[in-house]
Amino acid sequence: MLGQGARLYWAIQWRRNEGLGALFLVLAVFAATYAALFPGILAVGAMAKFVQGWFPTAMVAAAETIVMLTGGIDLSVGPMVSLGSVVAASTMQGPLGVFGGVLALLALGTGVGAIVGGFVAIGRYPAIIVTLALSFVLRGVALLIMPRPGGFVPPSLSEFLAGSHPTAALLLVLLVTLWKLYQATPLGIGLIAVGDNAEGAYRSGVNVSTVRMSAYIISANLQAFTGLYVAAQTGSGDPLIGEPLTLAAIAAAVLGGVGFLGGQGAMRGALAGSLLMSILINVMFFMGLPLVAQYVVQGLIIVATVALPLIRGSLRRAS
Amino acid sequence: MGVRQTILEARSVSKAFFGNPVLREVSIELVAGRIHALLGENGAGKSTLINLLSGTLRPDSGRILVDGRPIASLTPQEAHQLGIAVVQQELSLAPHLSIAENIGLGAYPRRGGVVDYGRLAAAVAEIGKELELVESPDTPVGRLPLGRRQIVEIAKALSIKPRVLILDEPTSSLAAPDVAILMKLVRRLRDRGIAILYISHRLNEILDFCEYVTVLKDGSVTADRPLAGLDPDGLIRLMVGRDPRNLFPPYASHASGARVLEAKGFRAGGAVDVDFELYRGEILGIGGLVGHGQEDFMMGLYGAIRAETEQFRVFANGAAVRSVPFANVADANAAGLAYVPADRRKEGLLLPHSINFNLLLPLFASHSAERRRGAQETAITERLAQRLNIRGDRRRPTQALSGGNQQKVALSKWLALEPSVLLLNDPTRGVDVETKREIYLALRAMAAEGKAVILLSSDTPELVHLCDRVMVFNKGRVAATLPHAEASEEAIVAAAMGVRKAPTLQGEAV
Amino acid sequence: MNAVLRLQRFAAAYSRSLVAFAIVAMLWIAASLLIGGFGAYAHLRYIVELAAVIGLVGIGQTIAVIGGGIDLSVSAVITVTAIILPLVSFDADATGLGAIALSLLAAAGIGAVNGLGIGYLGLPPLIMTLAMATILQGLLILIAGGSAISVTNASLDWLGSTHVLTISVSILLWAIVAAVCLFWLHGTRSGSLIFAIGANPVVSRLSGVPIRRLTLVTYVISGFCAGLAGLLLLSMNGQGYVGIGDPYLLSSIAAVVLGGTSILGGQGSYLGTIAGAVLLVTMTALITVVNASEGWRSVILGCLILAMLPLSGRDQSR
Repeated sequence: MLGQGARLYWAIQWRRNEGLGALFLVLAVFAATYAALFPGILAVGAMAKFVQGWFPTAMVAAAETIVMLTGGIDLSVGPMVSLGSVVAASTMQGPLGVFGGVLALLALGTGVGAIVGGFVAIGRYPAIIVTLALSFVLRGVALLIMPRPGGFVPPSLSEFLAGSHPTAALLLVLLVTLWKLYQATPLGIGLIAVGDNAEGAYRSGVNVSTVRMSAYIISANLQAFTGLYVAAQTGSGDPLIGEPLTLAAIAAAVLGGVGFLGGQGAMRGALAGSLLMSILINVMFFMGLPLVAQYVVQGLIIVATVALPLIRGSLRRAS
Repeated sequence: MGVRQTILEARSVSKAFFGNPVLREVSIELVAGRIHALLGENGAGKSTLINLLSGTLRPDSGRILVDGRPIASLTPQEAHQLGIAVVQQELSLAPHLSIAENIGLGAYPRRGGVVDYGRLAAAVAEIGKELELVESPDTPVGRLPLGRRQIVEIAKALSIKPRVLILDEPTSSLAAPDVAILMKLVRRLRDRGIAILYISHRLNEILDFCEYVTVLKDGSVTADRPLAGLDPDGLIRLMVGRDPRNLFPPYASHASGARVLEAKGFRAGGAVDVDFELYRGEILGIGGLVGHGQEDFMMGLYGAIRAETEQFRVFANGAAVRSVPFANVADANAAGLAYVPADRRKEGLLLPHSINFNLLLPLFASHSAERRRGAQETAITERLAQRLNIRGDRRRPTQALSGGNQQKVALSKWLALEPSVLLLNDPTRGVDVETKREIYLALRAMAAEGKAVILLSSDTPELVHLCDRVMVFNKGRVAATLPHAEASEEAIVAAAMGVRKAPTLQGEAV
Repeated sequence: MNAVLRLQRFAAAYSRSLVAFAIVAMLWIAASLLIGGFGAYAHLRYIVELAAVIGLVGIGQTIAVIGGGIDLSVSAVITVTAIILPLVSFDADATGLGAIALSLLAAAGIGAVNGLGIGYLGLPPLIMTLAMATILQGLLILIAGGSAISVTNASLDWLGSTHVLTISVSILLWAIVAAVCLFWLHGTRSGSLIFAIGANPVVSRLSGVPIRRLTLVTYVISGFCAGLAGLLLLSMNGQGYVGIGDPYLLSSIAAVVLGGTSILGGQGSYLGTIAGAVLLVTMTALITVVNASEGWRSVILGCLILAMLPLSGRDQSR
């Protein structure tokens, strides 16, 4: 027997699935097809590898979603991941080892998030231009720290994060749990309130700046730790490795039903979107298509998912 | 009641926007257990005063006091903590959040940092019962019709257990049963000792259940007294500062027999099955409660939203020149239609741009394949400014103008195209009395020139005193078309409420 | 109207542009005094030649930003033109003008697709142009791979090497296109409407402004100008490769912002962008004197834009 509060909570959660049915269905069909074509994927080891391939996209999709829910956007995701990988690979050589690296990444994520948040939440400058400019700053800093791939991530860490263990899957479960928890706090609900009706939220006593600021800081931290994960996968830092992730993050979020105007969408949609893209790219890879074809596909996915409802809307008005 | 206990007070506060004073030395006292009416025309400064009392804006001078204690700079959050709740006209709800999450927003019950859904559900259930909120608390607010959202908004204000409740036109979008629930509730809250500030345009409501009134006119307090001994005419005199009848020019019809527009079975957005015709020199009024399809009718006619008809005719010099509705605004402009929106700040004017550029915009848009010529443009803007008496430097950005002057620019910019049909959406909303009079005279003059005017107005006296005919909408349909002689305020309101008045009812029943 | 009054009005209307020009002038004077050879005519001319590329891309970017949008596909369009030109060159085309025309057509065509998506389908400019950039990038790598493609084109060689009265043809080309752009934006009615659209699309629509058509025109111009910039770049470099256009996305936006055009749309002038472009190249040249690293360039460019934001307007909505 559920209490009154739990009933309310789960009813609200269930409502957030609205509009995502089609996506979940497509995802199920794709996953089933993929498993039918490559039955090997169902083995534990192969599955772990698959999740590891998906993990960075899922992380940045989550990072992008948090910001987009407040009505913002982040165009510096890719360079931030690169910088994270570079920072991870250059600090873990230091005396504090892995611990020092994690501290450095926390500082990086919080610092960069606070800078973007300062401009967007307090200065109220448009997020597009702030994050675009910032993307160049971050790329530059990454290149200054490490002009070419290098550095060092302890093999034990690589093995732990991206080896034969299902660590990535567990981390995803942790991510979802923490997100659920955050969304149950006033700040977390504030994300949607601010994205929906910032003026109204302000009048209701929501501290709009704090909500936005926390969103950017959390987002930047997720991106920085995606950098660590990517570095662990390759065993070294790379100042350009994150580049494709900016668009992948936006594509996954948009595919998952997260709106550009804020307030609309749910994390589960963005994660499903990133999973769908991950499967698509895997299939393309097995079909022998060059890796760069994924750019084309991602671009088309974005345009198609944003354009389709608009076209449908104008057709409905026409009929 | 025992001792008079002032909870919230503004002491000679002033506020100006872009150099235009909106409030001048205004004082008001909200007392526990009293329903206090705040009256004033649109643009008199009521909203600004509310914003000052609730911490959304800060006064330029003067002080806000709570329990007799001055508050240095009130923020909405502090106001909440002090128990000041506001129900604004413009809703503060988040459509993607549930009813429960909206009600608790800004003051969630918490347990260990996380929202306590149990207590939230209990609180929502309690307020919901009081307000007869039947919808499930997990329903996203975006799913509710406007009137029900208003009830959620009120529930949200009550959830902080306020000591002061400010209601800004809470009934404007409510249906009769919801109004009754609200009235009952407000009385109950008063009896509990809550100070209530009530803003409404419905004078009967105010006379019915308020005890005290403060009247604002052009940013100053003109009356601050108990309501006892006042009748509706007395209230209007306090608001307008003159007899309501003097506001309007004497009625004279310029309507001719020549049709300019005609439609049968016209539908656009929320407007359905509208049959109408419009004549040269006629002022056709559009009335009804807010949101019954009037605006959609105008927008559809103007080509701004999609419209369909069984039959449609546009006439020029007596001959039909068009038989389908306009597909876009440019089409409508080319055929001589012009539209002045109600919300001039968002839809009528390019605020950062100069008066000159705003005046030239429709001309540029409809004749865009030309180069600009300074002398010609100066001559045009000078002429347009003269027609509606727009004074001062025309290179000023329009955001620096008063509401009245902005409206004059939004209207006169169309005169460059010499339109034959003018669609006006509530042209005197938030406009001072002098400008109102100027606008009324301008409308008369345009009708006398042979232009046809469609005047949508939320201010029923305008429909009564200015229009040759009034079409009253109810639920998207024309409930009645009243000729000038029969268009009394009572008849218009009755038709708008869907009350059948046999002799004047025309067309299909609702 | 007397001349002084006219001048005053001009100064008031273009004060932000004038500030950018003043900064350029001060930088040039200071650098000439401090760094040997900086103030030489040939060196300053070289700076302006480099600025021509940014300036040309900046035309489309300025118009897009004034109109309330942004074009993130300019760098990809530059690369497309630089790579496509050798591919569409044909033997019968001795002057090379045919290939040039075809490349510019492709550039304008990409702009048209952007314009159709934004103006007619209603896609946000950010998304449409970002997706376009990504798609083009993928296609380019598929077509050209990682190798540079050399080109021989008579007209391009002429463009890159000829001087008229000691002024490079590339600078003249920029001057002519800039003059046309300035005349359109400030001297014609349709150009003025771009400001209206950027200031408030709802007001513009209800005032009868043909928003869709003008949006299409905006992005076609942007594509075309980016194409011109690509050709100019090719004439300077002699070869095209994937990534050749990359630096020009941010520099074009930086030039627009430095020139005082409001990033929120509705206000600004291309005049400022001209100054912004020269200022950018000058600063890059000065940075190069100190440290040539690409990382520093990137950091400084980004910081420059962030520092300019307070002058460029903020989001009014909460």
